[in-house]
Amino acid sequence: MGEKSRKPLLVLYASQTGNALDAAERVGREAERRGCPVILSSMDEFDANSLTLEKTVIFVVSTTGQGDAPDAMKVFWKYLLQKNLPKSWLEGVHYAVFGLGDSGYQKFNFVAKKLDRRLHDLGASAIVERGLGDDQHPSGYEGALDPWMTSLWRVLYQINPTFFPHGPDYIPPTSQLLDQPKYQIVYHELGLLQAGLSVVSDSKSPAMEIERARSMSPAKLSYDKSTPDAFLKMVRNEPLTRKGCGRDVRHFEFEFFPSTISYDVGDVLEVLPSQNPDLVDAFIQRCNLDPEAFITVCPKQRGSHHLLDGSKSGQALPINLKKYVELAMDVTSASPRRYFFEVMSYFATAEHEKERLEYFVSPEGRDDLYQYNQKERRTVLEVLEDFPSVQMPFEWLVELVPPLRKRAFSIASSPSAHPNQVHLTVSVVSWTTPFKRKRMGLCSSWLASLDPLQGVTIPAWFHKGSLPAPPPSLPLILIGPGTGCAPFRGFLAERAAQDTSSSAAPIMFFFGCRNEGDDFLYRDLWLSHSHDGGLLSEARGGGFYVAFSRDQPQKVYVQHKMREQSQKIWAALSEGGAAIYVAGSSTNMPSDVMLAVEEIISKEGGVAREAAAVLIRRLERDGKYHVEAWS
Amino acid sequence: LGKLPVEPSSIDFLICISRSHEYPGGSWFDEISRALKPGGTLLVYKILQSAPRETEKRQLLLAGFLDAKGVQRSSNAVLTVVVSSIVKAKKASWKIGTSFALKKGTKAPVKLQIDDDSDLIDEDSLLTEEDLKKPQIPVGDCEIGTTKKACKNCTCGRAEEEEKVKLGLTTEQLNNPQSSCGSCGLGDAFRCGTCPYKGLPPFKLGEKVSLSSNFLVADI
Repeated sequence: MGEKSRKPLLVLYASQTGNALDAAERVGREAERRGCPVILSSMDEFDANSLTLEKTVIFVVSTTGQGDAPDAMKVFWKYLLQKNLPKSWLEGVHYAVFGLGDSGYQKFNFVAKKLDRRLHDLGASAIVERGLGDDQHPSGYEGALDPWMTSLWRVLYQINPTFFPHGPDYIPPTSQLLDQPKYQIVYHELGLLQAGLSVVSDSKSPAMEIERARSMSPAKLSYDKSTPDAFLKMVRNEPLTRKGCGRDVRHFEFEFFPSTISYDVGDVLEVLPSQNPDLVDAFIQRCNLDPEAFITVCPKQRGSHHLLDGSKSGQALPINLKKYVELAMDVTSASPRRYFFEVMSYFATAEHEKERLEYFVSPEGRDDLYQYNQKERRTVLEVLEDFPSVQMPFEWLVELVPPLRKRAFSIASSPSAHPNQVHLTVSVVSWTTPFKRKRMGLCSSWLASLDPLQGVTIPAWFHKGSLPAPPPSLPLILIGPGTGCAPFRGFLAERAAQDTSSSAAPIMFFFGCRNEGDDFLYRDLWLSHSHDGGLLSEARGGGFYVAFSRDQPQKVYVQHKMREQSQKIWAALSEGGAAIYVAGSSTNMPSDVMLAVEEIISKEGGVAREAAAVLIRRLERDGKYHVEAWS
Repeated sequence: LGKLPVEPSSIDFLICISRSHEYPGGSWFDEISRALKPGGTLLVYKILQSAPRETEKRQLLLAGFLDAKGVQRSSNAVLTVVVSSIVKAKKASWKIGTSFALKKGTKAPVKLQIDDDSDLIDEDSLLTEEDLKKPQIPVGDCEIGTTKKACKNCTCGRAEEEEKVKLGLTTEQLNNPQSSCGSCGLGDAFRCGTCPYKGLPPFKLGEKVSLSSNFLVADI
């Protein structure tokens, strides 16, 4: 038998929020430390057709809340699902799957499970049992990843010892353990800049600054637009909930520029939050950085797999360092990951700090790290302040500090009823950590703190969500408890505007909240539309139904209200051809609602539950059942 | 067989008319290839059909030409000779010695040719009974103090309970903090699980602990 050549190990990942990417990078790092070269690639950059050419592939995939595959995997997955792929298509390919999921959800790690099965059905051979990471585990997904990797290295070594020249358990001596940073920071002389291009004046334009910072950022995804679509100016900030009731939900109205932007009801608005300037300053001081410097961030040439537009970053215009930190590096809300602590340990000069960090990174300290860091939602700044002797070079910080992420909201306004404006319904996120610290959501609390008179401009992006705008003639069944009512406020306003020209179809709207007196969002609006021949009125064939979950001893939710209207819902579906839209922020609500619909179809339509489930799937396929769920 | 009296890579269009039974052989092809510009076109007219079209095309391909195809004789053909077959081929459009980097995958998402979803298997059929079960981690244990924090959209009331919980420290402990283990002042990363100062920022022993802006005020 000829010598087996040592091809690099291919690690394919599909990440939605960055966790699967972190896990995949860890797998890659551990393999490389054992002497095995690795190719790391997101699934949306890999041609599924060439899977057949690979000998060994590792898959790291996360499952989103509703059991769906991450966006980066959708095309790849569709390819694998083709009926006409032969059963032996992947014969000879070795694979292993690791999934990231949350057992708090019914569809726990469905994506990894389905992928594992499909690969097997296509003739590939699994070399280890699939690993299923679980957010509910005391140390999160690492709890499953560590043992899974151990068996992975052993098996790979058995299959082909040349994978790991020093054996599968090899750990290089500590001095060699620190890898090279993947990015380099180039500092620019301000004098030269001014002499050359008019960079400084350009950089005053906020849109350009944002574009520059975000396109240079290591975490930029290929389909992510760096330049904002629009800038928002807040014109209204009103509470929708009773003060002191325990929830703070706001109604925001913004004007946007340029006014040429158009959106549809059901669309999503993404907003880039601003970080507290004092905290940004504290970070810069803590890390001994020069806030006035001008920099560019470029990948180091060695096999960089992050997708930076090569041509762009090579000649990218420099940006002010402080601006870069503000716009691209999340130092005030997101928690760093385990690798951050590992790199910190190399740069700790105080003995007790170094020890502690090494402990956190070890398998024994894994749970404690999870408690200290992820559970507490430590920010980068907090971690650095807890380990004051650590001086991490800026290129490491750029690579490892979590990227500042945009936050997405369902649009609550209608372009026809609210021209040039966009409205949002936002719940201000706040909670107490296990260590009794009070924390608030970065974006929601920042928006809530804004005063229209301040004239703050907010960078924003518009894009489609999972709720396509319905034509005016389509009867609707809308279920949107809590902030889930936001897109439906838009639907209603749009349809009311369309109603003036020609009679629009009625709407059945199911809303839910805790207490009638506390958080009955937009109460007057819904009520006004349910009288006098409004779109929600019985007279028009519509309806408005509210479930107040806590106003009585037993819990009453939207699905209970739906069951009370089962005949009407069935008539709307079967005779009216109505479409169902579900929106809201709960783990169980969408599936509870779907179960209720299944029951209704079964009961009123006189069919077995299985047949009802099939009918629902047909509704989904025909575009008559849409869900937008956020967590 | 001599060489064509032209410079290399100078001819756009070369017509080869062959009477012989043998197809223009390898050395001829070399010469033609040398003379043709990259991307240039070669037309081969055979007077007598000696080999099936397919064979002719294959031979052209084997000789390094691209896009070999048969050509219909057009009604206003210039030739006066009766020709039995015409085959056209192209010289590759890169020069000898050029190289380019292999693309490491496209930047745009891979495009699919699948239009109809009914060509896909039902992905839910990939799940077994076993798959549908969740692992047995004790959920419902929503007490404060145990591991998981209240969910962002907590419906069981834990979030409010957490908000009501006050600090368990006395004023004395705040004004004059002492630590027998020596770690309390170092910050949460070093504190024991039962440390009364858990959750507070680092402090110096004996100095009043500041409930600093990081702590009780919102982290905006």
